[in-house]
Amino acid sequence: MSELAAYITLGFRHITDLEAMDHILFLFALAAIYRLRDWRDSLWVVTAFTVGHSVTLALAVTGTLMLPTRFIEFLIPVTIVATCLDNLIPSFQGVRTVGRYRPVFAGVFGLVHGAGFANYLRSMFVDQIALPLFGFNVGIELGQLVVLAVAAAALVALDRAFALVVPRPGQGVLRLRVVAVSAVVALIAARWAVERSPF
Amino acid sequence: MDLLLAVLAGLTLHPLHTTLTQLAYRDADRAVEATVRVFADDFRAALGRDVTDSAAAAYVRSTLTLADPAGRPLAIAWCGLRRTGDLLWLCLRAPSSEGLSGLRVRVALLFERYADQINIVQASYAGRRAALLFTRGDAAKALP
Repeated sequence: MSELAAYITLGFRHITDLEAMDHILFLFALAAIYRLRDWRDSLWVVTAFTVGHSVTLALAVTGTLMLPTRFIEFLIPVTIVATCLDNLIPSFQGVRTVGRYRPVFAGVFGLVHGAGFANYLRSMFVDQIALPLFGFNVGIELGQLVVLAVAAAALVALDRAFALVVPRPGQGVLRLRVVAVSAVVALIAARWAVERSPF
Repeated sequence: MDLLLAVLAGLTLHPLHTTLTQLAYRDADRAVEATVRVFADDFRAALGRDVTDSAAAAYVRSTLTLADPAGRPLAIAWCGLRRTGDLLWLCLRAPSSEGLSGLRVRVALLFERYADQINIVQASYAGRRAALLFTRGDAAKALP
């Protein structure tokens, strides 16, 4: 195996591991507002997230930007809660969440998540960071596409389940799905935020 | 509701569980030298006690194996540890007359502790670089 392949595998496995629930749930929250025919929009969002975390990862790993681990570990679940609120508020106002600014949102939140990876990579690969950084990021991006595909399948299954109990299919099902997924994810992330609070 | 709470209790934020082992061949000593980088908090958790030379050596020698291309295990000697920041650097040496090509390696550090542990091995020899990657359940692998 080449070194690059090893680091791509490291990033891919890190993001697709079931224990990586913080990142998986964040992607679920981002994807929760989209229908299958909106797949291009969700791809833009995930790519913006990758660009965001790549920028911070590069800055932090090269020592240009130093961020305290405790604060970053607190901010990660906060970004998840904020994404869920962005899903929920329009739903409660009776309008569909369209996510017009979601790529920007995802990019900014990606900056925070990248700092979370950076503290580990900087320590471990202190003297040879370029290749691990590049490979890890490629692996993360590939892993996110897999998570997104699984999320899409899960959301379709959820829609079908909700269609059995919702009297008015269509927007009613989508709204119920957005509320259910966002509420559960927000609850989990809020618990993490409380546990990790540096204040 | 009880089930939901149980699931919530099981979900945690996700650190990166990895180690990096660098292999080099010392012509002067005719020995393979392995330098293992491991996060200090993970390693302390695996030992279940404070990190001392003897405890670290015993643990690493039970989880890292080197063998020649024919599968004969190499005798591994401990050559110390140092700490930089949150990282431990562990040193091991094994006499070998055959260099790194074909060397059979297994790095099983922390597998008993973390299901998502990934151990990376890097080797530079004969003008080439190679890597091996170990996850839980992997057997020994040979360098090309």
